[in-house]
Amino acid sequence: MKISGAHVISVPQERAYALLQDPAVLGRSMPGCDALEKIGENEYHMKMKMVLASMNGLFDGKVRITDANPFSSFRLIVEGAGKIGFMRGNGLLTLAPLENGTNVQYEGSVEVGGTIAAVGQRLLDTTSRMLIKRFFDKLSTEIAASGDKAGSALPA
Amino acid sequence: MATTTVKPETLVGKRIRRREDPRLITGTATYVDDIKMPGMHHACIVRSPQAAARIKGLNIKPALDRPGVVAVFTGEDVKDVPSVPCVAQLPGLRQPHHHVLAQDRVYFVGHPVAVVVATDRYIAADAADAVEVDYEELPAVADPEKALAAGAPAIHPQWPDNTAFTFHQEGGDVEKAFREADVIVKQRITSQRLVPNAMETRGVVADWRAAERSLTLYSSSQAPHLLRSLLASIFGIPENRLRVVAPEVGGGFGSKIDIYAEDMLMTFVSQRINKPVKWVESRRENFLCTIHGRGHVDYYELAAKRDGTMLGLKLKIIQDLGAYLQLLTPAIPTLSVLMMPGLYKFKNISADVIGAFTNCVPTDAYRGAGRPEATHGIERMVDILAAELKMDPAELRLKNFPAPDEFPFATATGLAYDSGNYALPLKTALDEVGYADLRREQKQGREQGKLLGIGMSAYGEICAFGPTPATPTGGWESATVKIEPSGKVTIMTGASPHGQGEETTFAQIAADELGVDIDDVVVLHGDTSLVQYGIGTFGSRGTAIGGTALYYALQELKSKIKKFGATLLESDEVSLVGGSVVHEASGKSVSFSKIAAEAYRPMKLPPNTQPGLVATHFWEPPNFTFPFGAHVVVTEVDRDTGQIAIRRYVAVDDCGKLINPLIVSGQVHGGVAQGLGQALWEQAVYDDNGQLLTGEFTDYAIPRAHMMPWIESSHTETPSPVNPLGVKGVGEAGTIGCSPAVVNSVVDALSHLGVRHLDMPLTPEKIWKLIQAGGRA
Amino acid sequence: MIPQEFEYSAPGTLQEALQLIAGGERKVLAGGMSLIPMMKLRLAAPEHVVDLGRVPGLNYITESGGTIRIGATTTHHEIEMAPLVRGRCPLLAEAASRIGDIQVRNRGTIGGSIAHADPAADYPASLLALEGQVRLVSANSDRTVAASDFFLDPFTTAIEPGEIVSEIVLPAEEGSEGYRYEKLAHPASGFAVVGVAARIKKTGGKISFARIGVTGMAAHAFRALNAEKLLEGGATIDEAVATIGEGEEANSDLYASADYRQHLARVHARRAISVALTRAT
Repeated sequence: MKISGAHVISVPQERAYALLQDPAVLGRSMPGCDALEKIGENEYHMKMKMVLASMNGLFDGKVRITDANPFSSFRLIVEGAGKIGFMRGNGLLTLAPLENGTNVQYEGSVEVGGTIAAVGQRLLDTTSRMLIKRFFDKLSTEIAASGDKAGSALPA
Repeated sequence: MATTTVKPETLVGKRIRRREDPRLITGTATYVDDIKMPGMHHACIVRSPQAAARIKGLNIKPALDRPGVVAVFTGEDVKDVPSVPCVAQLPGLRQPHHHVLAQDRVYFVGHPVAVVVATDRYIAADAADAVEVDYEELPAVADPEKALAAGAPAIHPQWPDNTAFTFHQEGGDVEKAFREADVIVKQRITSQRLVPNAMETRGVVADWRAAERSLTLYSSSQAPHLLRSLLASIFGIPENRLRVVAPEVGGGFGSKIDIYAEDMLMTFVSQRINKPVKWVESRRENFLCTIHGRGHVDYYELAAKRDGTMLGLKLKIIQDLGAYLQLLTPAIPTLSVLMMPGLYKFKNISADVIGAFTNCVPTDAYRGAGRPEATHGIERMVDILAAELKMDPAELRLKNFPAPDEFPFATATGLAYDSGNYALPLKTALDEVGYADLRREQKQGREQGKLLGIGMSAYGEICAFGPTPATPTGGWESATVKIEPSGKVTIMTGASPHGQGEETTFAQIAADELGVDIDDVVVLHGDTSLVQYGIGTFGSRGTAIGGTALYYALQELKSKIKKFGATLLESDEVSLVGGSVVHEASGKSVSFSKIAAEAYRPMKLPPNTQPGLVATHFWEPPNFTFPFGAHVVVTEVDRDTGQIAIRRYVAVDDCGKLINPLIVSGQVHGGVAQGLGQALWEQAVYDDNGQLLTGEFTDYAIPRAHMMPWIESSHTETPSPVNPLGVKGVGEAGTIGCSPAVVNSVVDALSHLGVRHLDMPLTPEKIWKLIQAGGRA
Repeated sequence: MIPQEFEYSAPGTLQEALQLIAGGERKVLAGGMSLIPMMKLRLAAPEHVVDLGRVPGLNYITESGGTIRIGATTTHHEIEMAPLVRGRCPLLAEAASRIGDIQVRNRGTIGGSIAHADPAADYPASLLALEGQVRLVSANSDRTVAASDFFLDPFTTAIEPGEIVSEIVLPAEEGSEGYRYEKLAHPASGFAVVGVAARIKKTGGKISFARIGVTGMAAHAFRALNAEKLLEGGATIDEAVATIGEGEEANSDLYASADYRQHLARVHARRAISVALTRAT
């Protein structure tokens, strides 16, 4: 399934680019994820607990960052597998400066397999978008907590 | 001597209620899952979530460590078990070894990887979850045309073109026909993959008794004797020490003709643990692992004269086989070839079938098995030709039928249609629906933007499989009739009915022939230790072949009854009247029950006669039978949403003589329901990675009662000359006649917008988009 | 189709139920129409299920002072058939009658359905159009949330840990108002591909009041506020429904694309409003 969308982050582009590739930030922002553990260059081990309605699944997998093109784009690949199936998200994130932050546009695909594919297809689109939105919401919270400001890199 | 009351009327032809229904509707029937045995264990199968992957690692220890788990078997354990069998043979057929558990690779989602055996099914299910399998994902291909394209991933590495076979057939001179044609119409037509969805999923109980070297296997099967023979040869168990029982079988629709990996796996497990073991398929497994039906991409070309005379047909079939060949998988599209001319007279055909492997569960026989695809194709093509010629589709059909005096009719594909009056059901259905009035209403409605469609199909089918040379499973059927000393009648049929109602229809036939009360007749089936060898129920063969075997066994008994009567009445001038033997001159008679008792304790035996009243007959048919009919469907299309409403459904079917019109109606209704399912709702959708996206009833739409239109069902009766009962078969007719009539109707509703063809299922969005685009697909 | 092992409690009182639920990760079972299939597929594996089926006093339909209260474990069929609902809140009865199939309506409950918050469920459209409220109780709290603040995201509601839906509170419809629930049912699941609930009041032959709830189209049910305003301001039905779904991201799946869902929302809104208009007096 193809996915695409855009979210605005309230920090300048270079900062946004760094935050989006910071494993600590990613780990905290990804829904259901505790922490990312580095296992290679731009490659992290991920454990994710997905809770959606009554569904409850543990996924074990990897987060990878590829095709990095500082500070304008990179590819984020998230793969996980568990008892209820497996999922794979692959998105190209493109960053563009805005007056008060950065526009992050994503374009990619979500694939699922196993039981979640067989019973979840009607919900895949809407729940993927929800999870992506939660990711960016959490990221914003992280940014606010860290004291980053949209205009911090700009003259007041 | 006492005279018995002569039964006043015959039962054949009457709407007798099904005698099997009370146990079904009170929930007291015994299915495989109702079988319980002392010491019985339970198996749960670990299945691949990947469509194509290498198994890098398999850790069964976490499962084995759980209390109550007695064994876990993997591919390594079963590597010497022979392949799951395919009995259909074609020249050059490539047949992959179908292991009962995956070896180092998996080929479709649901592929069995390991089996966990435990003391109860809950423990087994939890333990199966604990098995750790490490997959290295490989590229998959789920679409047959993509599988055949250059550069596609190889499903089986040894055959990189993903082609299991090619098959060519021709008749007449098709190139000449196309040269002489005024008009050639072409269309790509698909028949999507469908999930058979028997109400009862599959299930197996295997009980190996080492001391007796014997196996009893309960399986939800349509063909228990076939299953026994195949299992016996696979496992080297003597056939007389192998008992297969098909207890109550909750529907099959073709999907339970097969012998499955699980039948073999449970046999293996029971032999290894020396205990009975049960496996019952979950609905989820049923979606993933029981065969699917259809899966055709067809390319049609039809040649005709300007006056509508059809000259010839070219067809290329791409059959989605799935990853393996099940029992009859490669044979199914060849049935489509046999029936490609439909009911029409043209004698020039050319057909090519390409069997394509895909990373999906195998396809095989599903209600109609090859004939719905063929009928859908030719009946769509006739409508497309009619549109091209601006001819009425009914008129075009009537022009191309053989006349009733042209039977037996030799077809371009080498068949001999047994008997027919093809115009009669079509004309009857059109009269019933009020065709001329509807065409007027359609014309007026269009001016107001209303979308009314009138669609028809004139279908024929090849049934009663079949003469043995043409039927891989064997084509005859058997019956044993025992008249007990008390006069009660026991029938053992080699057909293995599972919803077709033969416990009723066969009793009707026997009651009439013997002149006994239907309640005195019991029909037994499905147990190989009870019933003489038989073939089974599929391909609309139960009554036409099994019923005929019964008929001949009954004739043998009647002649013996007459002999006993003659001896008792001390005269050869006797006749059978109802169940009694009557001496015409004196009017003296001897009753059926008296003769039954006498046969087992004869004071005087008739000459050259053995005691007892038992007869067995194995009947080999000389030909198939060819039922036919016409379905006319009136639809209304909602212009704003694309939703389709069926206003009228008129089915006029000719399945030869009717034994029980009530059961025949039931078969037509059920068949139409499944035809509507294909036309409007059902589709097994695999994504590009081979994941089945419609893998549960939440997305896979089977017809429900409230979605069904009223079916106006009636019959013409053209007896078959192939068998003495004059019957042809009706199990698949509704499905075959339905889908083209529905699609033709909807295409007709949209034809003024330029719509010429629609692929199934006709989902509302598909229709809406076409309307939006002004008919341009 | 065998769930994982789980602990099961069937409390006999509401207090007992709330204590259990307060005690940690608990899954609440009402009619089981969503939870049980998920458990059988092992997509849901709750450690502890608290069954509200034996809690007395959660199954009722009452009215006082123009307010209708429906207990959480009242089934769809009971709602569909209750003279009180049919007479005083007919939109909800009509919506209930369109849920799933008869077996689902006999087992499924209103509390379970809205707590589950499937984005394609039928009730939310009506609850929004009716400006209903959801009462949430826990061992130490009791609060009421407007339906418009209740449905937040797919399967996500305002229910806090420890809370359960105890009742649905609805203002009775006026006898003079017209209502309608229109849906395209998915042929397999029966869920609303799109469902639209409309309420219309007329004054002097003109629409003076409109409430429109849409379900199935987006991440959660929503009220078509712009369309309501346009209708109340004298716009035509076509003008009003043309605004439905603006600013919402429509769902897409195998059965219906986002464009089609968006279109269906408008078609069904037009039809629902038209029928409601003819029913209004």
